[in-house]
Amino acid sequence: MLPEFDFLTPNSLAEALAWLAQRAGDAAPVAGGTNIVPDLRSGRHAPKALVDLSRLAELKGIRREDGYVVAGGGVTIAELLGSPLVRSSARPLFEAARLFANPLIRNRATLAGNLADASPAADSAPPLLALDAEVELVSQAGTRRVSLVEFFTGVRRTVRRTDEILAAVRWPVPEPEAAFGYTKLGLRRADAISVVSAAVCLVPAPDGACSRARIALGSVAPVPMRARAAEAFLTGRPLSAETIAEAARMAAGEASPISDLRATSGYRKRVAEVIVRRLLAEAARTPQPQES
Amino acid sequence: MKITAKPLPSVELPELRQVGKPLRRVDALSKTVGATLYAGDYYPTNLLYGKVFRSTIPHGKIRRLDVSQARALEGVACVLTAGDLPRAVLVTDMPGQTGQKRRSGSDAQVLATDTVRFIGEPIALVAAETEALAEQALRLIEIEYDPLPAVFDPLEAMQPGAPQIYPPDNVVARWRIRKGDVAAGMAAADVIVENTFSVPYQEHAYLEPEAGVSWVDERGVINIRVCTQVVEHFRSISLALGVPQNKLRIQGTMVGGGFGGKEDITVEIFLGLLAKATGRPVRLAFSREESILAHSKRHPYVITHRTGVTRDGHITAAEVKVISNSGAYVYLSPYVLLYSTGMAVGPYRVENVSVSSASVATNNPFTSAFRGFGAPQVCVAYEQQMDEIARAIGMDPYELRRRNFIHKGDLTIHGQELTSAAWLEETTTRAVAALGDPTPDWGSFKVGQGFASYMQSYGRITWLHDTSQAWVGLEMDGTATIRAGVPDLGAGQISALAQIVSEVLGVAMKDITIYHTDSAVTPLSGTSTATRQLYMSGNATLQAATAIRKNLLERASRYFEELPEAIDLADARAFVKGHPEQSLRLAELVAMCASEGLPLANLAMFKAPFTGPIDPETGQGQIWPDFTFGAQAVEVAVDTETGEILLLKSAACHDVGRAINPAAVEGQIQGGSSQGLGYALMEDLAVEQGRIKAGSLSEYLIPTACDFPETQVIILESGTGVGPFGAKGIGEPSFTPAPGAVANAVANALGVRIHELPLTPDRVLAALDKTGKRSG
Repeated sequence: MLPEFDFLTPNSLAEALAWLAQRAGDAAPVAGGTNIVPDLRSGRHAPKALVDLSRLAELKGIRREDGYVVAGGGVTIAELLGSPLVRSSARPLFEAARLFANPLIRNRATLAGNLADASPAADSAPPLLALDAEVELVSQAGTRRVSLVEFFTGVRRTVRRTDEILAAVRWPVPEPEAAFGYTKLGLRRADAISVVSAAVCLVPAPDGACSRARIALGSVAPVPMRARAAEAFLTGRPLSAETIAEAARMAAGEASPISDLRATSGYRKRVAEVIVRRLLAEAARTPQPQES
Repeated sequence: MKITAKPLPSVELPELRQVGKPLRRVDALSKTVGATLYAGDYYPTNLLYGKVFRSTIPHGKIRRLDVSQARALEGVACVLTAGDLPRAVLVTDMPGQTGQKRRSGSDAQVLATDTVRFIGEPIALVAAETEALAEQALRLIEIEYDPLPAVFDPLEAMQPGAPQIYPPDNVVARWRIRKGDVAAGMAAADVIVENTFSVPYQEHAYLEPEAGVSWVDERGVINIRVCTQVVEHFRSISLALGVPQNKLRIQGTMVGGGFGGKEDITVEIFLGLLAKATGRPVRLAFSREESILAHSKRHPYVITHRTGVTRDGHITAAEVKVISNSGAYVYLSPYVLLYSTGMAVGPYRVENVSVSSASVATNNPFTSAFRGFGAPQVCVAYEQQMDEIARAIGMDPYELRRRNFIHKGDLTIHGQELTSAAWLEETTTRAVAALGDPTPDWGSFKVGQGFASYMQSYGRITWLHDTSQAWVGLEMDGTATIRAGVPDLGAGQISALAQIVSEVLGVAMKDITIYHTDSAVTPLSGTSTATRQLYMSGNATLQAATAIRKNLLERASRYFEELPEAIDLADARAFVKGHPEQSLRLAELVAMCASEGLPLANLAMFKAPFTGPIDPETGQGQIWPDFTFGAQAVEVAVDTETGEILLLKSAACHDVGRAINPAAVEGQIQGGSSQGLGYALMEDLAVEQGRIKAGSLSEYLIPTACDFPETQVIILESGTGVGPFGAKGIGEPSFTPAPGAVANAVANALGVRIHELPLTPDRVLAALDKTGKRSG
């Protein structure tokens, strides 16, 4: 059963921020509630108040803005799936949204909630890392932008202060030649927490070499992570099978997975290499379609 | 595998009007629109909320239990511990003679008296004004334990010096079959094949967790409205409550899935105790997590086969050792083990056979009934063993089976003659042929096909002397009423009865009302277990309806001045066969009968064959009324780099005797198949040191609609079953061949066998590593 708590329903973002500031430390923001409600039930979180963000128009909408795509923190996973902009300019995020939990959860869960919960297995994190996204943290003190890589600091830990709201996620509109890939490995094909997930972005140079690479992994480290060494290794090299295989090995080497109910650490490392190799090979072979 | 379907023997089934048609089930509309009230949907006024305080350790003495603070909390109506109970133990045996002496002390405790034996064992009950107060009261209960050494592995539990749950050896049941001369049979073999297989726990994972409400009525009767597979539990509940049997009434609701998990008593005694103690209505509903903690599980098994075979594929001897993990209490383990023992070699004729089986207590969650009741676990083993034998002698796996299949008229390994059609070739060839050509391997994926054939009983153990009663009556307007104590688990149990009455009396399904599952007002029909309801209550209903029909035809024969055999009933009319213009409304005929005092209602009892127990030394004798035969075949693709298994195709073929409602039969087969495929591929309770690690549905994964393709269902009808109109049972058998078929398909894909379910990606990669067959 749920413990008792105050449920605060602000009518504006300003009001929400005021509540969070006033009750800093014992209030938590809630939108879809798909993470916090189970946490309250299990006793893992015990805030004295919940500040309901689900009705705030300021946190809604997906738009293009100065070469960026900006998605409000309150956008639901189902809304991501319905957005032509996400489909065209954030293909791996679209793919991740399709495999996110189940239709009921997708209707409630929000992008900000998925990121702010900071599970190593957060489905939206690897795609957004591959898109080089940043988050907007808003408080009464102002707005700051933090790159998603720096946002996560540990298992279920982020740089977000308790008086801050994750108001938006932004990522640059990808170059036309950028190619992406996304895979989620779970123990079943829907409604499963990922065992390993990965997203990649490859930007080829005119000569076929790799001009830029981003490789993001989920569920293989305390935080959703970028495989920086593998990315550096690829950059400037021709995208041959050997190069890709070596990059995948390096990416798996950068991972530090744990063993849990879903898989052993050895399995995760081994399969991370396989899926990164496959994603890179696929991305290197086929230019990403912009629409489908 | 290239197999063509074996032609069917010619069967002439009588032409029927209602039976055999995919009619809409009587419960379909109300369930679809959400009008059906399930056990958790009742909230009487003045309600109290019950909660259960449970053990958190696997084995220990209760040094101190203090409920005084909980009792003192305002809003708490009562707190009960073992000392407050009229009777501390729960009688868990099946009603009726068992043929097996129960071990003293093997009954489960209603509430733990001084020792707890598994995590989740109930210790105290609370009833309070709100659910939150009840939970608060649980937190105020103080307990201290002196932990005892615990044992979790059944093989370790049998060793000398192991912690004793049931002295002297923790064995709670044994069975043996001895037939022919195994040594001579092995000596006559060209090849001896030996393998050990193990299968895991399974959680029932029904949609509806256990729930109910209870109250004491103006007669002083304790009413318990609950989801259960067994209304006859009212007798043992009354014993536990210390009230006469006629002061305890079970009002069974529609059940949101049973699968054996609601065969044992769940919330009933707790509800009864709390209502009796407080005099107020009490509601108790388990959360999903508590449901997983509280109810039984499918037994894990370790099964060793040693089989002698000649080069031409003749099995000369079989030696099978079967060990099941009973968990901390016995429950139905001895009977589940009997099913495993009798079915240990599968649907094959083996003259020289020895089966030795034991069920062993551990400090794990207790195990009991689960769809198939011990038959699926042994099917996983015997069908993998058949493939391994085929490989050892270089013979096609189907051909090996064909040469050894048991036939009608043959004796089983327990010496029971098969009296109905045994369509093993007919079903197996159709299931395999339905897969078509194998999909070619691609990339890192290797494709394999596999199948499993099976035989499985339906109907209860014949020495339990099973009966079922049903009441059928016609009203003056020509509508009909059925009363039967049948629990409906969602499989169409009650609708089948309506369809039978509709056939026999010519009353439309929409004009039939059924009262069911009430221990006080519906005749007792026995349990919805053992794939027995259609067989038993279908026959009882058929008998009752036929008795009324006889009266109607007799009266109509006088009216039409024709012989009774010349008259038929259909579409709410009586008419002369071949002369539909000579007809009479059923309501008019009913009125004529009533004015002459001819009975328009009938209470019938159907009796299964009554036998004595089997020989304890040799296991020889009749155990079951009859058997269902069938097969399932699947095609899988295994990703040799990630270990993931994709199910590409699935086909199941069963001889159901006669499909009363083919749509309901197909539903059972689809459901049984998915549950069996899930058991093979993903379901993993992860029990470690007696603790369920996958204790919620986000950890215990069951298949979703995305995971498997639809199973192609091929229904055959030999018309030879002992159920109504020649029906056999399909509810449980539909599960049985699925997991073994998957195991064989994966072995076929990989060229290496994994002897342990579930076939997780980790295990696939480990098996490939051992053989060096991993690609990439």
